[in-house]
Amino acid sequence: MTATDTPAPRIAESAPLAVGAGRSGGGRPVGNPVGKIALAVTMSVLTLAFVYPFVWLVSASFKPRGEVFDNRLIPRTFTLHNYVAVWHDAPMALWLVNTVYVTVLATVTVTISSALVAWGFAYFRFRGRDLLFGLVLASMMIPGAVTMIPTYLIWHAAGFTGTLVPLWAQNLFGSAFYIFLLRQFFLGLPRDLFEAARLDGANNWQMFRLIALPLTRPALVVVGLFEFQAAWTDLMRPLIYLRDSDTFTVPRGLKSMVDQFGFGGEFHWELIVTASVITTLPMIVVFFLGQRHFMEGIATTGTRG
Amino acid sequence: MQRRARAYLSVAAVGTVLLAGCAQGTGSQKTNAAYDRSTKLSGKVSVMGFGATDEIAKVRLAEAKKAMGSKVTVKLIPGDLDIQQFLSGVASGDAPEVVYADRGQIGSFASRGAVIPLDDCIKGEKIDTSAFRSSALDAVTFRGHVYGIPEFNVVQIIQANADLLRKAGLTLDDVNGSSWSKVSAANKKLTRTVGGKLKVIGFDSKLPEFLPLWAKANGADLISADGKTAQLDDPKVVQALTWAVGIYNAQGGFGKVKAYRDSADFFGSGNQYASGTLGAMPMEQWYVNVLNDVSPKAPMAFDTVRDQQGQPIAFASGSAWAIPKGSKNPGAACRFARVMTQTSSWVKAAQERVRLRQKDGGLFTGVLTGNVDADKKIEAMIKPSGDARWDQAIRATYTANDHTFSMPANPAGQEFETAWQDGVNRVLNGQQSPKDAMAQAQKEAQKALDDAWAEIGK
Amino acid sequence: MSRRRSAVHAGDTRAAWLFISPWVVGFLVFTLYPLIYTGYLSLTDYDVINDPRFVGLDNFRALLSDDKVILALRNTAVFAVMSVPVKIVLSFFLAVLLNRAGRATGFFRTAFFLPKMTPPVAIGILLLLMFNGQSGLVNEVLGWFGINGPAWTTDPTWVKPGLVLMSLWTVGASVIILLAALRNVPQELYDAARVDGAGWWAQTRHITVPMASGAIFFLVIVDTIAALQSFTEAYTAYFGAGNSTYANSAALFYAIYLFQQAFQFLHMGYASAMALLLFVIIMAITGIQVRLSKRFVFYAGDQS
Repeated sequence: MTATDTPAPRIAESAPLAVGAGRSGGGRPVGNPVGKIALAVTMSVLTLAFVYPFVWLVSASFKPRGEVFDNRLIPRTFTLHNYVAVWHDAPMALWLVNTVYVTVLATVTVTISSALVAWGFAYFRFRGRDLLFGLVLASMMIPGAVTMIPTYLIWHAAGFTGTLVPLWAQNLFGSAFYIFLLRQFFLGLPRDLFEAARLDGANNWQMFRLIALPLTRPALVVVGLFEFQAAWTDLMRPLIYLRDSDTFTVPRGLKSMVDQFGFGGEFHWELIVTASVITTLPMIVVFFLGQRHFMEGIATTGTRG
Repeated sequence: MQRRARAYLSVAAVGTVLLAGCAQGTGSQKTNAAYDRSTKLSGKVSVMGFGATDEIAKVRLAEAKKAMGSKVTVKLIPGDLDIQQFLSGVASGDAPEVVYADRGQIGSFASRGAVIPLDDCIKGEKIDTSAFRSSALDAVTFRGHVYGIPEFNVVQIIQANADLLRKAGLTLDDVNGSSWSKVSAANKKLTRTVGGKLKVIGFDSKLPEFLPLWAKANGADLISADGKTAQLDDPKVVQALTWAVGIYNAQGGFGKVKAYRDSADFFGSGNQYASGTLGAMPMEQWYVNVLNDVSPKAPMAFDTVRDQQGQPIAFASGSAWAIPKGSKNPGAACRFARVMTQTSSWVKAAQERVRLRQKDGGLFTGVLTGNVDADKKIEAMIKPSGDARWDQAIRATYTANDHTFSMPANPAGQEFETAWQDGVNRVLNGQQSPKDAMAQAQKEAQKALDDAWAEIGK
Repeated sequence: MSRRRSAVHAGDTRAAWLFISPWVVGFLVFTLYPLIYTGYLSLTDYDVINDPRFVGLDNFRALLSDDKVILALRNTAVFAVMSVPVKIVLSFFLAVLLNRAGRATGFFRTAFFLPKMTPPVAIGILLLLMFNGQSGLVNEVLGWFGINGPAWTTDPTWVKPGLVLMSLWTVGASVIILLAALRNVPQELYDAARVDGAGWWAQTRHITVPMASGAIFFLVIVDTIAALQSFTEAYTAYFGAGNSTYANSAALFYAIYLFQQAFQFLHMGYASAMALLLFVIIMAITGIQVRLSKRFVFYAGDQS
């Protein structure tokens, strides 16, 4: 996308305005030291606000039961006991394997299928397109509580209750949220690219795979990361579809452990916070690794043409 | 294009009709059961809502497995009973063989036929229902039939800070509820506010959960014995509510007390008693174990809650085993329930706990089983701990256990509870007066009850 | 729009249907069927345990006279009106900041997304702690600025603002979406504008916002739909197991009341009627938003 592409007309409109506004003192790029410091301070404060609760969680996971809520950032009594106890007597390794299996399948399938569908809605013109897309939006508007039972009945009729299949297989058909999101990004691609490719003899599939997908890499990565987070932490589906504790995913397994210690309300909060930390860590790692691709995605968009 | 759309839609319509057929309740399934103590059992028993966690559970589970025989496989579905989980199973005809539920839920399950009456099971397996506490059995009896086998009892006792009482010149009698005016006076003496911030909670009347307790102490029940009529606007109930809210108002309002209470290190060594920030409150008996564990030196004093006549009183709650309609192995489910709750299993489990406590030097505070015989035998296993405080706690617990009441099973379970709790919350949040709040709650609750009872005929 | 039509090729319709076929199948099975089923249930009295019993329009009649439904609708509407604009503005602000943060962006991005990765049960506990009227962190920080913080969790007036603040904590996802959109803005545009003498604000208003308007439009729609169905945070904090002492009529959102009706009171038919009502409301609102978007949203590749 170069400056000479389709965005130009709109920007030309506003350029005179920009010139007019030049009176406001000319924006200095944030290369000046004051600006840089201000930016750093703002970012740090905001980061603190967002990160603090998680830091609290991590700190609490190293505390013995009696100190979990003492609001100290550095534990008075540092203990690793919780991390041992939470795995004790539980098939944690099995749960992790199940969770990885479900999450990877869910993420890969939803990204591919949503991209396909989003592309279909973004690039092509066909009768009923807007109506159908409206239906896509509509599917997001039904409260989950009521669709839970019919969906369960479908899976039961298909014979898949008690297995891990219902936890990810719906993603084969795309997800309205991601379809909507990816469509927005596909709409942002200039049509001239595709016209040019078509003139070169490219068919629809090639245009999708070789042009559209690479150009929207940041968005695809976003979809992947979001779905990873959703699938990894989902509790509702394992709760209603899984019976055998060997098939549990980590969130489901942890709930049963937490409920265990819940008789009469004797919640072992120190185990709950530890379980929360354990559940979150893999996601942090995946997320941190994955979002490098944001940067790489950027690098390619500036050099087209 | 339009033709295709129409084709798709007709497929969907047909599919809907087909699948709607699947959306049956288990109403059409029959549960044929032959219950007999001597039969050899086989098959699978999946247990929903129970996890074999501590020794009390593990020992009894072992006993149950032995009694059912090697041909039966027991599969636990761990985690508290989740209603969505249970209903999904029921809707698809895939109910578990036995469920472990809170006794308060049994009424609404029973009224809808989600669980089956246990008369045949009790006769066949020769379950001695007279061994169960009457309040426990009442809670699971609906329209004259027993729908659950009770397990465990949770009661409340007054847990007070002896030092604070002494310093204010008060005794346990002032805070055990035998005289509400005394409690209000004690509350004023014990409460401490510094600079607008609450520093010591005098008395915590534990609203909204404990309204039934205070109402009963005043001689009123929230619902009639047959479970058909709500009695929330009974003047005695309103009186109880007004008094209990007054306790909070004297301390600056419920918001302040609640906020302060929530910031307390409830399960830790800095709990409200150890830190001297609470005078007294009624609390479930299991908290004694926590206190003994994290703050054994806290200056505690215990007594039963008393009614206006000075008699001990406690609201009992607990769990129960029930057999869902559509259970594929009710015979085994019944035996499971029998063995889990029979005296010998409880005694064995308690012995194991005593052994473990002796090993790690902890305190054995007994187990409230919901079974009168078992309770007596286990109480006899308790040895004086050498510390008057904890002995007092145990005594209070067992006394309370002998003077319990519970709410009769009713078909509107949750809706009824929500109605009166919402009413209390409205008063606590300052949105309504006790009289108006209970009047509204009465209307809502009675409607829920009427609708639910009307359903049963259909 | 019509200008481009001539560029449509004959095979396009078939190709389009091929691309969207996965969704079509999924829609029929997992959306249309449940929707029709919900519609059917809304005409019945169904407790999941026994067969549904046809009652006609009784549920809808009851809906209209149910005070709690009106309360829930009002609560939800107020919450949506408060939270959506604030969320979008905050996300945009954070995304703009992140866009300029250079190399350390990765760390900050993770930090902002962190709350979304934390299990809801932990968030529920933490928020009750942090917003505690007496000793919570929020009021403590406010105290530094001389503000006497309110009782966020017990005062009915402050319950919703408290929930709005809680919801701001999970803007991470929106920030990332906006950031991806911002990154797609060609640097040349900014360079050209700067050459023309445009300041930072002018650049933002005339370049950043229009170029990101597609993403902003997306977020407005999605966040509104989500806000109108808001459930988890409020339920965990105020209505979950063991939280009866917190139950506050100010926090009774529509989705929560629906859940109560469906799974606590076992009135699945009534809940289905509630679901349909919500569906219609959301459709109407989204329809309006889509209409408005035609005026404000700019797409580089599609003039529809």
